[in-house]
Amino acid sequence: MKMRKMSKYGMEFSMKIVFAACACVSIIAISLIAIFLFTGGLPAIFEIGIYEFFLGQRWAPGDRYPAVPAFGVLPMIVGSIYITLGALVIGVPIGLFTAIYLAYMCPHRIYVFVKPVVNLLAGIPSVVYGFFGMVVLVPMIRPFAREITGGGTGESIMAASILLGIMILPVVIGISESAIRAVPANYLEGALALGASKTRSVFCVIVPAAKSGIMAAVVLGVGRAVGETMAVNMVAGNQARMPTHLLRGVRSLTANIVMEMPYAYGLHRDALTATGVVLLLFILIINMLFVFLVRKGR
Amino acid sequence: MKKMLALLAVAGLLLFTACGDGGESTTSNPSTNNPAVAAAPTPAPAAANPAATVTPITGPIDVISRESGSGTRDAFVEILGILEDGVDRTYIEAVIQTGTGAVITAVAGNLYAIGYISLGSVRDDVRAMPINGVPATAENVQNGSYPLFRTFYLATPRNLEPLAQDFLDFIVSAEGQEIAVSRGFVAIGDNLPAFSGGGLTGTLEISGSTSMVDLMERIAAAYMELHADTRIEIHSTGSGAGITDAREGRVAFGMASRALRPAELEYVDSVTMAHDGLAVIVHNDNPIASLTTEQVRDIFMGELPRWSDTH
Amino acid sequence: MLRLTLYLVIGIALFLALKHVYTYLPEAVLRKMVRIWDKIFLSLTWVFAGVTVLALGFIIFHILSNGIPHLSPRLFAVNVTLGDVSMFPAIISTVLMVIIVLAISVPLGMFTAVFLVEYMRTGSWFVTLIRSAAEILAGIPSIVYGLFGMMFFRVFLGMGFSILSGSLTMSIMMLPLIIRTTEEALKSVPDTYREGSFALGAGKLRTVFRIILPNAMPGIFAGVILAIGRVVGESAALIFTAGTILQIPSSLFDSARTLTVHMWRLSSYGQYVNETYATAVVLLLVVLSLNAVSGVIARKFTKT
Repeated sequence: MKMRKMSKYGMEFSMKIVFAACACVSIIAISLIAIFLFTGGLPAIFEIGIYEFFLGQRWAPGDRYPAVPAFGVLPMIVGSIYITLGALVIGVPIGLFTAIYLAYMCPHRIYVFVKPVVNLLAGIPSVVYGFFGMVVLVPMIRPFAREITGGGTGESIMAASILLGIMILPVVIGISESAIRAVPANYLEGALALGASKTRSVFCVIVPAAKSGIMAAVVLGVGRAVGETMAVNMVAGNQARMPTHLLRGVRSLTANIVMEMPYAYGLHRDALTATGVVLLLFILIINMLFVFLVRKGR
Repeated sequence: MKKMLALLAVAGLLLFTACGDGGESTTSNPSTNNPAVAAAPTPAPAAANPAATVTPITGPIDVISRESGSGTRDAFVEILGILEDGVDRTYIEAVIQTGTGAVITAVAGNLYAIGYISLGSVRDDVRAMPINGVPATAENVQNGSYPLFRTFYLATPRNLEPLAQDFLDFIVSAEGQEIAVSRGFVAIGDNLPAFSGGGLTGTLEISGSTSMVDLMERIAAAYMELHADTRIEIHSTGSGAGITDAREGRVAFGMASRALRPAELEYVDSVTMAHDGLAVIVHNDNPIASLTTEQVRDIFMGELPRWSDTH
Repeated sequence: MLRLTLYLVIGIALFLALKHVYTYLPEAVLRKMVRIWDKIFLSLTWVFAGVTVLALGFIIFHILSNGIPHLSPRLFAVNVTLGDVSMFPAIISTVLMVIIVLAISVPLGMFTAVFLVEYMRTGSWFVTLIRSAAEILAGIPSIVYGLFGMMFFRVFLGMGFSILSGSLTMSIMMLPLIIRTTEEALKSVPDTYREGSFALGAGKLRTVFRIILPNAMPGIFAGVILAIGRVVGESAALIFTAGTILQIPSSLFDSARTLTVHMWRLSSYGQYVNETYATAVVLLLVVLSLNAVSGVIARKFTKT
């Protein structure tokens, strides 16, 4: 009797260890990633020079003796910021209004049609978006680029922003809709009782109440836009210089890595790893901003 | 409050992009602004009349270049003098495409585009521009009249495994070089020895230049057909990656479409695989008859920005 | 350009001024303004929802209309010769990779979630640590995973371009997703189930495996479907780890390309535009079916 009890407890205990070990895998994975990225990237940043790396405007790893290769990532940082902002300008209003529509204005028959559509948008691989951008968006923008800026193939901030905006729509819509639906019904009832129209109640009472959820949606959208690689690489032109015009090309941090990582060795490769570190820091800052905003919202 | 911030942000964004170099003046030739949407660009004179009296395309040139580790780019900028004192002065506005195929796609879809690829990769979706009046063909590369050419090298680690050495021998033999010639490249010499090896088994991994992948795949296919139980995997990663992989022992040998540098030769050896021309490609409907090497250089440095400046 | 910003500034100033002034307008005018405002916003919701649907509809229509005509048996050829465009090896590789990734990440993620929910007091530092780690993992861009996978699995551990490198990298990528969805599913199982089970004398282990997990299955399954979708759609991370060789892998150490990587490769070879469209069609079909399956499961979940 005692033996069986003990083996049952022994089994319990050992399984608990197993579960705990599994939980530790996440920590191990994070640490591994951090170690490899930082040991690769940080020395490079110091060797290139903190100022030259973060604020240098010339990225030219191919320059060689007697010149010195240049590793300034500022053009890519600004490029990533621009296309992310562009994606937000396009994706957030459309996404938010669609979420409001889905939550409050939409007849049930239309809802069962639109919701799967939004989910489908989420599942399309980014190379499909990129390919679509390449063959449809870029040629569409090309005549405008040539007319307004006197040149350009159509690969531009605009093309990347439109594409990214579409790509973050599902994220923004999904989470905003949940947030809006989570607002208690009596908010709406109270507003209506006070005489406001339905539209006014939704926009001026419910939406502000769902603020923190909507902000979460925006932050997640930003995360997706910043981390997007293939689609941006296919439509943004990839010029390694400071952005000049909405209708001209840029290079994002992610495209920089994916284009040059295969060939790079030595300092060039470590510089690209450092670019990865910059990306990581970006995401971390955005996440911290989110936590801060949520707390402030409460 | 939030709306104001949003409006301010948008205003700031517009301001930023406005304050940069806005590109050229907007007084472009109206004939270039036809509704040139998607695949069918503005029609040029239907049959490309080689006589220079025709009014060809005008407007800004869309320069397409390769990414910074590409052997083709290295060879191109060196041979044209765009690389000077170690600085690659390629036009900063040039759109960067990764890989030979991407450059072809970009040029084939844009009437105003110009790019450069390996001569052996030219198919009928784009047109190879004659340089200094000399058409871009393998014969002209061989007899020296076509000025833009470079050599394909193989970066081999010091100790080659037997199968790798055998495959290498096949590549430089008469049979291997025959395949190269049939694909539009130039053999490394005449009177090459016939292949006399074989009988080994195993798997080989090769990586490197996107310009060389197609040729390598065909030679490998021929080799694998002769020798069952051999497998050759070819990764198309770019010259720089090929050299790096060979240097770090990750592949049997690497393909490089440029000469190896002294720093690299400290770790690997270099074997000549074939000769190749560099084709300057334009859209099939681009009627320009020929460009000089100086014009090509200036175009790719951004100093010749409009098609109208080429005649 | 300077003029535009001047207009914008004037516009913003006017807007702010109006905001403070408009309350002094007569009642009837105000009411009319509100009604117009309402109409504008209401129609905007319809318009933007329409834009969303239209955007997706256009993309899908464009790909289907350009791809379906080019679907041919050649694209599904089993024997791949060099330079071929068959997607059959890619499909096999994708299936293989999904199986391996799920085999690694689902048990790991599930057990982690079980640990977090069932075994630890909420608020303990360990739970917060694991959860933060999972959050951070979730936010890392896929290209950084590709970098890491290349440096760690391919180079440091010497696995080379291989299915193994690729699936290990993807498993780490999928962990946060599985953990989060399993956690949600576990939390949604009512405590009364647990209490009842303990009251009947079952140990924690038995409770977890016999009572809680089966009840949480629909939620866990939803997470698994999501993970499958992500693995199928991933490209950047796999290009650096699993490589791009078009072949049916004969061992875990062979390089292979998944369907998405295959499509990307095709799109960068100038002459295969039609084949790219066709491959995109197949990809879309896969995504559609995954979505349909998850929809069916969701409906089953809410019914029970």
